[in-house]
Amino acid sequence: MPERIRHAPLDMGKATFPKAKIQLIKDQCKGCGFCIRFCPQKVLEESQEINARGVHPPKIVDESKCLACGFCTAVCPDFAIFIIEKPSKEDVKNG
Amino acid sequence: MGAEEKEKTNPREDDGEIRIGVYVCHCGLNIAGSVDCGEVAKFAATLPHVVWAQDNRYTCSDQGQEQIKKDIKEHKLNRVVVASCSPRLHEPTFRKTCEDAGLNKYLFEMANIREHCSWVHLYDRQSATEKAKDLVKMAVAKAARLQSAKEIEVPIIRKALVIGGGVAGIQAALDLADTGYKVYLVEKEPSIGGMMARIDKTFPTMDCSICILAPKMSDVGHHPNIELLANSEVTDVKGYIGNFHVKILKRPRFVKNDCSACGECSKVCPVIAPNKFDAGLAIRHAIYTPFAQAVPSTYIIDMNLCLNKDGVTVCDKCMKACERQAIDFEMKPETVEIDVGTIIVAIGADVFDPSSLQNYGYGKYLNVITSLEFERLINAGGPSGGHLIRPSDLEIPRRVAFIQCVGSRSDKSGRLYCSNVCCMNTIKDSLLIKEHWPETEIHVFYVDIRAYGKGFEDLYKRARKEGVLFIRGLPAEIVEDRKTHNLWLVGENTLQKELYKVNVDMAILSVGLEPRKDSEPIQRLLTLSRTQDGFFMEAHPKLRPVDAATGGIFFAGCAESPKDIKDSVTQASAAAARAGILMAKGKVTVEAITPIFYPERCKVCGLCAKVCPYNAIVLNKELKRVELVKAACGGCGTCAAECPFDALTQDHFTDEQIISQIDAVTESDADKKIVAFCCNWCAYAGADFAGVSRMQYPPSVRIIRTMCSGRVAPKFVERAFARGAAAVLVAGCHPGDCHYINANYQTQKRVERLWKKMEQQGLDKERLQLLWASAAEGERFASKIREMNRLVEKVSPEEINNAKKVFEKALGGD
Amino acid sequence: MEASKALVPKEDIRKLLDGEKLEHCFECGICTASCSIADLLGKDYNPRNLLEKIFLNPDAVLASYEPWLCAWCYRCYKRCPQGLKLPEIFLYMRTAAVKNAFTQPLEIAFEKIVDNIPLSIVTTLVCFHPERAGLEIKKILDMIEHIRIEHLKKLKKKKTVKSSGEKIAVIGSGPAGLTVASELARKGHKITIFEAFSEPGGMLRKCIPEYRLPKWVLAKEIQFIEDLGVEIKTGVKVGEDVNFDDLRKGNYRAIFIGTGANKSQAFKIEGGDLEGVIHAIEFLWNANYKEKVKVGKDVVVIGGGNVAMDTAKTALRLNADKVTILYRRSKEEMPAIPWEVKEAENEGVKIEFLVAPKKILGKNGKVSAVECVRIQLGEPDESGRRKPTPIEGSEFTRETDMVILAIGEIPDLGFLPKEIELNEDNTVWVNPITMETSVEGIFAGGDAVTGPATIIEAIRAGKRAAESIENYVKSLAR
Ligand SMILES: Cc1cc2nc3c(=O)[nH]c(=O)nc-3n(C[C@H](O)[C@H](O)[C@H](O)COP(=O)(O)OP(=O)(O)OC[C@H]3O[C@@H](n4cnc5c(N)ncnc54)[C@H](O)[C@@H]3O)c2cc1C
Ligand SMILES: Cc1cc2nc3c(=O)[nH]c(=O)nc-3n(C[C@H](O)[C@H](O)[C@H](O)COP(=O)(O)OP(=O)(O)OC[C@H]3O[C@@H](n4cnc5c(N)ncnc54)[C@H](O)[C@@H]3O)c2cc1C
Ligand code: SF4
Ligand code: SF4
Ligand code: SF4
Ligand code: SF4
Repeated sequence: MPERIRHAPLDMGKATFPKAKIQLIKDQCKGCGFCIRFCPQKVLEESQEINARGVHPPKIVDESKCLACGFCTAVCPDFAIFIIEKPSKEDVKNG
Repeated sequence: MGAEEKEKTNPREDDGEIRIGVYVCHCGLNIAGSVDCGEVAKFAATLPHVVWAQDNRYTCSDQGQEQIKKDIKEHKLNRVVVASCSPRLHEPTFRKTCEDAGLNKYLFEMANIREHCSWVHLYDRQSATEKAKDLVKMAVAKAARLQSAKEIEVPIIRKALVIGGGVAGIQAALDLADTGYKVYLVEKEPSIGGMMARIDKTFPTMDCSICILAPKMSDVGHHPNIELLANSEVTDVKGYIGNFHVKILKRPRFVKNDCSACGECSKVCPVIAPNKFDAGLAIRHAIYTPFAQAVPSTYIIDMNLCLNKDGVTVCDKCMKACERQAIDFEMKPETVEIDVGTIIVAIGADVFDPSSLQNYGYGKYLNVITSLEFERLINAGGPSGGHLIRPSDLEIPRRVAFIQCVGSRSDKSGRLYCSNVCCMNTIKDSLLIKEHWPETEIHVFYVDIRAYGKGFEDLYKRARKEGVLFIRGLPAEIVEDRKTHNLWLVGENTLQKELYKVNVDMAILSVGLEPRKDSEPIQRLLTLSRTQDGFFMEAHPKLRPVDAATGGIFFAGCAESPKDIKDSVTQASAAAARAGILMAKGKVTVEAITPIFYPERCKVCGLCAKVCPYNAIVLNKELKRVELVKAACGGCGTCAAECPFDALTQDHFTDEQIISQIDAVTESDADKKIVAFCCNWCAYAGADFAGVSRMQYPPSVRIIRTMCSGRVAPKFVERAFARGAAAVLVAGCHPGDCHYINANYQTQKRVERLWKKMEQQGLDKERLQLLWASAAEGERFASKIREMNRLVEKVSPEEINNAKKVFEKALGGD
Repeated sequence: MEASKALVPKEDIRKLLDGEKLEHCFECGICTASCSIADLLGKDYNPRNLLEKIFLNPDAVLASYEPWLCAWCYRCYKRCPQGLKLPEIFLYMRTAAVKNAFTQPLEIAFEKIVDNIPLSIVTTLVCFHPERAGLEIKKILDMIEHIRIEHLKKLKKKKTVKSSGEKIAVIGSGPAGLTVASELARKGHKITIFEAFSEPGGMLRKCIPEYRLPKWVLAKEIQFIEDLGVEIKTGVKVGEDVNFDDLRKGNYRAIFIGTGANKSQAFKIEGGDLEGVIHAIEFLWNANYKEKVKVGKDVVVIGGGNVAMDTAKTALRLNADKVTILYRRSKEEMPAIPWEVKEAENEGVKIEFLVAPKKILGKNGKVSAVECVRIQLGEPDESGRRKPTPIEGSEFTRETDMVILAIGEIPDLGFLPKEIELNEDNTVWVNPITMETSVEGIFAGGDAVTGPATIIEAIRAGKRAAESIENYVKSLAR
């Protein structure tokens, strides 16, 4: 079906997305960049800031894109990032 | 298999005195109307070897055939020539007649004096008669050199491949499987069902579409004889009728067959996208099933969307949710190889995208939708649960308009043909609305309502009775009221000759069907041709409507032309029957038009092996010889044209035979004639089509038929010029459409070489023309002849002589 | 059935309809519904029906006034699903009529034009073009003036309309504004036109070249309208000399916006400020007003619309040696009316397709050449137009001493209050049926709504708006 889609889904309003509040413990970050590299939604980016360990910790670009997969928490070797899930009904832009 | 001598089946016929019988058919007035058949027969009697010549009203009638049989015995005929219609039509008939009388069928030859003569020179009886004589002379000359031959038999693999799992493909697969054949059904989407699965009710019966389709779909899923390959595509096809070797790419679903379709995974998947099956009007998740009744029911992960798309398992929500542990992110694409004897093509059609019609504002105005979107909108399984709502505010529209012929019947904004289903579809849709929301005001803007099928007129009348307003005249434009998103339709009521301005809440564009945009690989792999409309072309529009020109391949459903479900199913069953007949026979004879090899002349240069599109000639470097695999040979003859040492020729199209035809044409008045070499499948068929359509062109052309333009050796062209022909035409299929994969690339190369030579020798290279014309392009052929005729009138005697001198060598051997 | 006796051979008709390509009318009515004249004249003109008559019995059509009523806007052609060139088919009939000395039909056609279309003489010259069938302009002018005078006499005999006492403001004195004014004045309303320029007439006065529309013809037309009691205040620019809101607060019952599309579209190109680079509108303006206009020897015009054609032709008339139009798409896509393109080419204008300027080169502050690049048309985009993309490495320079930019005009609507909604392309949004803007009592029409279009479309919009204003004013009185 190579048809072009020209109308937005009518039930978009009913869609639910898992949401999360991302918690960064900046001074605990050692700047490995794993979370930035592996986040599938490209939520994180390196900041210009310099933290207590003398490296650039990540910064949150667009929290609304986060789908609460929790992978950043899983890959962070220094437990510097974790998420708090909060179910929400809001619309989210999807990649 | 190395050197192979030509088999002689019946030496009596070939050796000794040649006795030719010639029959000139009147075809009622079809030929006799513009050709003096009696005179042609008289002329034929004077030709060498002709011992019997007569004209008759219908040679193809029983009577006519009996006459031939009688004469073969009575006059000891050992060659028969019939001058009548196209060999593409009646050659098999007369060959059978000869066989019945004990004459090898390869000793029969035809002169096409109807499609190539009487019908295209309707108003010039004298020239038409002269041309008919020439055509008979050519046929007699070739007949004298014909040799009997035995056809080889190839076994047919008793398995079939069906490409496309719409209703047509489903029906064809089930019919064949029920007959007892193994069937592979390849569908490129995750589920079979096609268009029919997406529509709500079906006209004219108003059955629920998926309710009648779903049982068939599930039969396919469970049938022991059917192997369903969904989410898959055919990537390669090799071989020939009865013996196709097919490669299929099976894309991974990332969900194993253990899936019980519980849907728990989908619920937890955090990613969504518009569902294509719902025309984007509803959402789905990255792990999904396109619709509830999908077959196979196994879920699928859309890897472009899944959070794990980069190969790292970031998200495992679905995995955790799946009790049966069916999810497998490690799945890889697989290539499946199968061997089948027959193939049914049922890839359906696309719907027209009306975005290009700016005056209708599709894509710009929210409440302008297509009929396909409407089907999803009113479908209980669709995004609105079957409630008719309009996109702008999700309210029930009170006034609705349908606009017909969007993308159909127009050269400029869509396709030239009528799409067959849109009128009835609109009538059906209007009744559906009336059924649930009887107060809705419905306007249908149309040009003609085509209610041609069984039960269609009744449905149309019902719609009128229910109060649907039919207005003749299409809106010139749709304009949106910004505030309300209501639409103004402005047009002319052409029956009242009055302008209308109609205000509605929603407008539905009744879009047409068009050929699949992505069907090019299928066309190429199976060497199919298309009509001008772009749909696949059948072998004969009336008598072989489901056969492709390529042996062993059949069509079903909208792939062949726009049609409704009933016709798709009928055609599918027909295709299954046709394929079944072949497989029941278990074997097929291959025409004896394979190469004849003279090993003593071969210098093992290997050029033939290089040009053979079927790899039927192999250069064995170790043994220093070329080897011929006749069963693999497609019969194009391009090897024979390539061999510089005359070590190869083609059976039934030998050098000697073709040269005799050239010589017959150029015996008299060569300087006023065009010698045309036309390939059987495209150019010759195109010339036939010009005849059928009565397109008139000058009578100066004489067509010599070869199976492929790749058979045309440069020496043939040179010989024609050497004997004083005014012009030569080499005509074949469009590049890419060649019936023999790509043999016509060689044609192009050879003609280019000849052009170069002509230029170097100071000859006008315009006198040699190359034409690509499909079987549907009669007008292209006719206008080429008109153009070349102007050239013929201009060519001076000096130029003719110069060419004679330049190509003198080609006469060698005389 | 003796074909030889026919005045119009059916073969010719078939050829005009492109019978071989199977393009034939299937009576969808899109042409008629798109045609301004059909809208203005009602049952008197129906291009679809006329085409059918030509097809059925061409000879009978020679005696009909209908072929003379086409105003050459090519709107029907642009939308016809079969791509039939109706105006050219009609021209063929006109020519055949003239050849066979049928002149009576033209007179009837003029009567209908005078009865229904304001600015009837102007439109005869710049829209209906009867001269294209081989008639003399002088004769045409005499004929229509005579009919016009008779018409006025008839009108005078009728009782004069009572003054309604209602005041209505019209902004802009182009064809749209003049139409609204004359229509409403006949209904007895008191009309004031505000015109920024020192003379009334809009584009007709400012830019349409003299050779196509002599000034005295326009002056006469405007006099007719003034005679109806319309007041034209020239030199008053709304937004500068008087505020839009002042008009609203004043005791005008309704306001009509007919300010056209007079602003040259901004075009950023290196060298655009060199001496010898000029916008088309300005160039034509100069040609219409100044005694002596400077024109180059080798002129390059950039653009593909009607303005580009007029500019090129005017430049030739001003004695340029050579005029070349550069257009970035192909002939098919040209927005200019096909006939104008043909005419320009016949007059010696060279048109190069699929070429776009990259920068303008100069010497001593003066234009010396244009650097161009060749263009390739890609796949049709969402809007159905094929996207032009430059072919890399195909750059070439073309010497020239004058570059005229005819790349389109846009409305200048800065003076409007925010409540009046605009479309994305900076035109005024109106209800297409009533021509009312998003603010009650304020109407708009002409190029200000459609973007650059044609005179006849501006007149049609004016007529529609006048009707709605009349209804609106009546509804207020109730
Ligand atoms: C809006 C609309 C409403 C309609 N309403 C009705 C109706 O009410 N009644 C009626 O009788 N008819 C109706 N029709 C027509 C009906 O849909 C068709 O007649 C029918 O679906 C044709 O079936 P098909 O199998 O030929 O093609 P399709 O249903 O289009 O199926 C073709 C299948 O082939 C697959 N495919 C395509 N290319 C490939 C490839 N390269 N490899 C593998 N698989 C491929 C496709 O994915 C698809 O599953 C309607 C059509 C439309 C568009
Ligand atoms: C060179 C050229 C050639 C053309 N040739 C043809 C042709 O052959 N046939 C054809 O049909 N069409 C032709 N056209 C198009 C046609 O001229 C226009 O479509 C038509 O004039 C539009 O009419 P209008 O009333 O909407 O606007 P305009 O004619 O543009 O009139 C608008 C008027 O409003 C005035 N105005 C603007 N802003 C204000 C303000 N704030 N306050 C007061 N007044 C204001 C302007 O000064 C102007 O006088 C041509 C156009 C050009 C430029
Ligand atoms: S939870 Fe997933 S989507 Fe959200 S920031 Fe972490 S890695 Fe990215
Ligand atoms: S792994 Fe992919 S398919 Fe499964 S839930 Fe996560 S995003 Fe969805
Ligand atoms: S738009 Fe074209 S097809 Fe339609 S009625 Fe007019 S001329 Fe005929
Ligand atoms: S060209 Fe314009 S005026 Fe003439 S018929 Fe077509 S739409 Fe009407």
